Order: sequence, then structure tokens, then C-alpha cells
Amino acid sequence: MKTIFNKLLVSVVSTVLISVTSSASAADFTLPKYEKMVLENGLTIYLMQQDEVPLIDVVAIVKAGAVSDTKAGLAQVTASNLLLGTKSLGRQAFQEKLDFIGAQTSSSAALEYSVLSASLASKDIDTVLPILRDALLNPAFDQVEFEQQKSRYLADLERQKESPRAKIGSFYNALLYGDHAYANSVSGTVDSVQTIELDDVKTFHRQWFSPRNSAVIVTGDIDPKAMAKKLKALFGAWEGEKVVANVSSTLPVPKEAKVLLVNKSDATESTFLMGGPGIKRSNPDFVAVSVVNTILGGRFTSWLNDELRVNSGLTYGARSSFTSNKEGGSFVISTFTKTETTTDAIDLALKTYAKLWEQGIDAGTLDSAKAYVKGQFPPRYETSSDIAFLLAEMFVYDFDESFINTFTQQVNKLNVERSKDIIANYFPKQNMQFVIVGKAADIKESVKQYGKIIEVDIKDNSINLD
Amino acid sequence: MQQSKPKKKYDAKACFFRIISSTVLWSTLLLSAHSNALPKAEDIKQFTLDNGMKIIVLEDDSIPNANMYLFWKVGSRNEYPGITGLSHFFEHMMFNGSKKYGPKMFDRTMEAAGGSNNAYTTENSTVYTDWFPADALELMFDLEADRIQNLDINPDVVESERGVVTSERSTGLENSNYRMLSEQVKAAAFRAHPYSWSVIGHESDIANWNLQDLKDYHKTYYAPNNAIVVVAGAIKFDDVKRLAKEYFEPIPAQAAPREVHTVEPVQTGERRVYVQKESVTSPNVMLAYHVPETKHEDYYALQVLAGILSDGDTSRLTKALVYEQQLAAQVFAFSSESIDPNLFYFYAVAAPNVDASALEKGLIAEINKVIKNGVTDSELQKVKNRQLVNFYREMSTINGKANTVGTYEFYFGDYKALFSLPESLNNVSKEDVQRVANQYLRKANRTVGVLAAEEDSNENDL
Repeated sequence: MKTIFNKLLVSVVSTVLISVTSSASAADFTLPKYEKMVLENGLTIYLMQQDEVPLIDVVAIVKAGAVSDTKAGLAQVTASNLLLGTKSLGRQAFQEKLDFIGAQTSSSAALEYSVLSASLASKDIDTVLPILRDALLNPAFDQVEFEQQKSRYLADLERQKESPRAKIGSFYNALLYGDHAYANSVSGTVDSVQTIELDDVKTFHRQWFSPRNSAVIVTGDIDPKAMAKKLKALFGAWEGEKVVANVSSTLPVPKEAKVLLVNKSDATESTFLMGGPGIKRSNPDFVAVSVVNTILGGRFTSWLNDELRVNSGLTYGARSSFTSNKEGGSFVISTFTKTETTTDAIDLALKTYAKLWEQGIDAGTLDSAKAYVKGQFPPRYETSSDIAFLLAEMFVYDFDESFINTFTQQVNKLNVERSKDIIANYFPKQNMQFVIVGKAADIKESVKQYGKIIEVDIKDNSINLD
Repeated sequence: MQQSKPKKKYDAKACFFRIISSTVLWSTLLLSAHSNALPKAEDIKQFTLDNGMKIIVLEDDSIPNANMYLFWKVGSRNEYPGITGLSHFFEHMMFNGSKKYGPKMFDRTMEAAGGSNNAYTTENSTVYTDWFPADALELMFDLEADRIQNLDINPDVVESERGVVTSERSTGLENSNYRMLSEQVKAAAFRAHPYSWSVIGHESDIANWNLQDLKDYHKTYYAPNNAIVVVAGAIKFDDVKRLAKEYFEPIPAQAAPREVHTVEPVQTGERRVYVQKESVTSPNVMLAYHVPETKHEDYYALQVLAGILSDGDTSRLTKALVYEQQLAAQVFAFSSESIDPNLFYFYAVAAPNVDASALEKGLIAEINKVIKNGVTDSELQKVKNRQLVNFYREMSTINGKANTVGTYEFYFGDYKALFSLPESLNNVSKEDVQRVANQYLRKANRTVGVLAAEEDSNENDL
């Protein structure tokens, strides 16, 4: 279970897959052997045996996400509809079959992919696999179930307005990415979701859910040979062309500092993000950037947490993180504090951030951060589920196991000199973008100093920054 | 449909660290004929130091890491008015400097060695968790021994930590309706027992407890005879034993803390609370019924009942209230492990345009169906199946193993209860489930909480 505060940070791109920010490995940690194959229909298969416990994880990933939304939230709504029954199994029977054996399923979308996954006891694999195949390829898309799900989903979106943490990420993406597809809100808004009809879902599914666009990953207590055979039998007849999302490789660069002030009239604290452009997942300096970020805001003793929490008691936690997509990403500093100390916290965060350039990183701190990321690395890939999602991430972002196997090496070669280049090249210094969720009446005047102000309300049914 | 049990615990450092499941107890082990590397009772070794500290060891070299979990028998149940929240605040202070490792040095030293840590406090326990490369084992013993034996509470740090905890408290209330409502429901359900207040405590107590309160707390509760330590991962039993003798055994035992002797008087009629919060978009309803402690013989039947009611999309409450009647957007029921008798909770968020009383009636109707008609064989089997798979999930990480084993030791007095769980579970019959529903889920034993945006008022109020 992730912490609530993690959710705030991850929700910037709301996915487990892209949340690899600070990473590490013990010297001898390598990715266990896995098999990758491509079926004749273009479907990619990944298999890895890991039988510590009698569990199997199945992840089906499709390169189609919110960047391809014709209405905000469409990829997410489509994903939700995959778990409401199949052509041969009604919603209730579908749920009963899976529930009874304790199989956990989940289906969701992110910016650049949709993912359907299951965790189950290995003895149940022959029951579950055909159901998952049908959920992916032959979902029921029943009108009544669609309507009810939409109503539940709209209620979820309404409820998110209660929580600054639930909402702040989509405001930040809208502010930072402007007209680029990465500004698309994965969850959608009340206004946009209201316009989504079952036909939209069917069209999205037909257009994007293609074998040439997808991978099926099975890890855990399996016999890879037998599993390959099963997958060929189940997925071999799936047909479809390759479709590629049209995402510009040119990301907007902020021309001026902006403050998006999101009013929440009963707020007792201010929750804020500040930052700018980040890096793409395939950036060769990805690991080095994560080590430097560890020092700034990626661990408990990081500069930000030390100043804002430990030294001043302004907040329960302050941190920074990079979120990386295929073509680019974002960087944020995030924290919260009571309404009265809003500018104290922002000023201290900015002052601490400026230390990256003014003071730089010393050898002792760098050594500590390197040891930390290496030491914390292996537990991230401990379970078959962790591995399945890592393989899925490799499929979407075009990297391979050298990320794991050379991780230690890459961390080791970072030195003080190179850390200066990393800071100069990748940490945004100019034109910071701020999102502040809080009681606007009390803080508006004092936060104007940080940039051009744009005002919206957390209760708004759409995100409109014009 | 996202359904998650809210955490009833507070973490020292929630922002940086992954969180272990708070529901470890309710999983079961199959009669272990399987060939996989699931732990068996004989894979776990334990010993007790001369000062009374119990150490449990589980070797597992699946990754080159290990962890150390320290369970202290102190939580908000050990507090009294004026020092509410002190257990949790103290948990924070354990990171703020001791004799050998001064302020900030605990974290700095651990992180520089590749380790990380966190801690959490509940109504019953305070648990410290260290995650580290296995070769840093001795350093962990050194760090822990230093703060257990020689904590040095700095008055300045106490002041800044008050700000941190106040922020933790308010950010919880700002972002979590559950937290907002449960605080009030607990206060109504308990009028005598310390479970009455939230683990985070009252804001005015956070602002006012003093240095002496903290010093007394440390001496009383952070004694080796009041702790259970679990070490799991790529370590050797013999090394753990040697290091425990070297670092932990010299720490002197203390007199046992005073017993918490307060017994909550029997509730003889429904209690109701209403909480207004402007930003709430649809009413939240909580029902809380008094139930016995974890060691009570009805524990297993109550857990099965909670599973049948709310675990999974086809559970009674989700099926009826979310899918069929569409009264709720979200619903769940649970009862946590507890040293003293505690509460069985129901929590539901109303679907759009459904009012609190319709939702409350819907919840009660489902409860009454169990009382009147009982449950089915298939429902019973489903709960057992699900708990088995959940157990596998817990056992798939060294953290899951350490936390599960330690939690069993803590609440049952013997981690081996983990291995007799299948039997305990199989002993629960349909009749048992119906009986506990009938015995405990009664109106007179209930506290109802409603959280909504509107002011609590009568139609004719001026």
C-alpha cells in the first residue's frame, strides 16, 4: 500500500510504472533470466519464473493511454469497463468467479498505456487466463453496466474535489504541459466524463487494443515453456494493426513563472507543487538524475525534508521527484503547511532548491546518496508482481534489463564534477511553475510574488486555465 | 471499485517509505504441503535475552537485504487525558538524537549505509522498521541499542517536532474524511477506555506536554522487557544472536508498566454523532459496534463475518449497496487486532443524491439479513480461499514476513498462532458467523457517525 503522500506525487502521472525516481542496487543484484518472444500476430510475450510463493502475476499492457483521449478520461473509462464482464460471462458471474478464488484484478490507464493485471494462486491459472483474455479482447461493453459504472466514476471525481492531494497533480500537468498531450488529465473531469458514451469506449478499444501494440507478461510460479504454449493458444488469433499515438517530441518550455491558485474554501493548510520540465524515461542520465534528486528531496535526510520538516517544523514532509514519460517529463518539489505559513514554506523550499547551484553537492553527501539508492534497490524488484511491472515498463519505454544490471555501475560513476552537469542540464532553474491548493482569500495576495497568477476552484467541473 | 481499509496508524515518515500492510493478521496458511519456499514454523527461530527482550529470526536470502522490526507494547491505550497522542509523538522523538548518534545522526548514518527506516504507532503498539543491505546488520544493532538505552531528548527539537506532528494531524483531517469522522465516533463509543481518543491525539495536548512526560514515557515503555524484535532476510541466526547479546542484552530491564485496567462500561443504547465539513461532496456514514479483543474466542468468527460483508466485489455490502441498490459509492467493514475490546466498523460513502439516512438504513438492512438468515457455505469458503492467497502475498516479501510474524507474536502472544490459523479458521461455522452478528451487531451496542457538508439542523430551526 502506498502512503497517501506518495499518491500526491505519483498522481502527477498516476502510475506505478513511471514512479521509478530514486533507485539503487546491491553490488551483485541483477535481473533474473526472463524470456521475451513475439507471436506472429505481433503480440509481445514476457515470461519469468519466480516460485518463492505459489502466486502468478499476469500483466497485459497496451500502448494506449490518456495521450490518445478524444474526450478527457476516455482511456481510463475504457479500462474500467474491461472488468464489467465479457461477451461470454456477465458482470456478476465474472466477479463471482474471480472473487471466489481470491484472484485480484485491476484495470487502469496512464498517460501512455492501459494496463490490465491480475494476481492469483498458481493453481487457478487455467481458470483465470481465459477470463483475462476475454476481458482484454472481448469485454461485454453492456449499456446498463456502462451507465452504472459511469455514475460511480463521476461520483469518484466529485469526491476527489474533497482532497487537495487527489487533485493537485492534474492541475500541475495542465499548467506545465499546456497544449501538449501530456497535459491530458488521465482521470478526466466531471464535464468531460459526462460526455463519454459507450460508443466512445468501443471505438477507443477497437482502435487501440491491438496485438502489435501490446504485451502480455506472466511471472511467478510458472513453467515458462508450458505458459508460452498457453498464451499462444489464447492470444494467437488476436488480430490488429500497429497504431502509434501521435505525441509531439517537442515539449513546451515555460516562458514565465506562473502560479495556479486553486481555491478550497474550507482549507486549513496549503498544499503545493513547484517545478518545471523533467526528463524522458530513456534519458541516459536517468540514474544520475535520480541520485542527485535523492539528495535534494528523495529521502528523509534530503535537503528539503531536513529544512522544511526537521529544522523548522513547517510540515510533516517535503520532497522532490521526477516523473518520466516517453518523450519528456516533469520535476516537482512538493509539500504542505498550515495556511498561515504558506509563504514561509515556499520561500524556504526555493532557498533550499537554490543550494543546488549556489553550494552544489559535496563528496560526502554524494557518497551517502549513492549508498542509499544502491541499498534500497533490490527490494523494489523482490516479488513477481514487481518484476511483471518492470517488464511492462520496459515494453512501453523501450529500455531493457541493462537498467537493472548496470545500475550499480551507473551510480558508482557519478562524481561531484558530473553532478554539476546533471544539475545544470536537468533541474529547472527559470520560470518555475507553482500550483497551490488552499484558501485563496487568505493567501492570494502573498503568493502573487511568485509569478503570474491564474485562479480556479477545486470544485470546478473542468480544468480551464485560460 | 477501489476499496481499501483506512490506516489506523500514524507513520513517522510517511512521505518517503513504503508502507507495510496493516491487515497482516487476517491471512491464513494452507496445510503446508506445497513445494514452494513458504515459511514453516520450524524455519523461524527465537530466543529471549536475559533482560527479557524477545528476538525472532527468519532467514531468507531471496534478495541481499534484511530488515529489523521492533514492536513496543505501547500505544494510545497507555495514555490518559493531558498526554493524548504522546505515544505517537514519542515515536517521532526516537529519531531525534541519542548519546552516540546525536540529532539527525540516526537517519544520516543509516542512509549512508544504504538503509532506510520508518515507524508507526497504533492504539496498541509502536513499531520501528529498519530496511537495509544485509551486510549493515551490525550497524542496525548499534543504532537501535543507542536510542533505546541512551535517548537524549533535546528541548529545541521537541518544539520543532510539535510543528511536524501538528502538520501531520491537520493534513490527515484535511485530506481524509475517514479520519475526520472516526475521531468523533471513537470519542462517543468509548467514554472510559483510552481507545476514546485518536492515535494522533488532541491538538492542545500536542501543544502542551512537557519534557518530563517524554522522559517518563521512555523509561517506562522503552524497556527491553517490553519489546519483541524480528529480524528477517539474508542474515544468519547465529549472527543475529551474537549481535543481540552484544548490543541489546546490556540494556537493563525495567519494572513492568502499569496495567491498563479500565474496562469500558457496557453500552446500553445507540449513540450518534454528526460532523460538518464544508467540502464533503456526499455524506459519509460510520457504524461502530463494540466487540471483544483479539485473544477472545469470537475473533475468528468476527473476521470471517467482516470478510463476507465487505471483502471483494461480490461481498454482501458491495454487491447490495454499490452494484444493486446503488446507495453507496464505497463501503467496507473491518475490525482490527486489539489488546482490549474494541470496535467493529462499517464505513460507507453515499452515492450521488443519496442521503445519509437512506445509506444508514441500507447498511443496517444487510447486517440484519446476516442476523436473520445467516451466511452460506459458499461465502464461508470464499473467505477462506481469499485469505490463503492474501497470505501468499504477505509471504512474498521479507517485510511481509517480518511484520506478519511480529504481529502474531504481539497480539496472540505466540507467532505460532500463524501456523494454526488454518485450523482456527476451519473451526468457524456458518452458525458461529450468524451468532456473532446477532450478539454484537445490535442497535444498543452501536455508535452512528455522519459526516456531511450541511449544518446539522432541524427543518424548523430558525
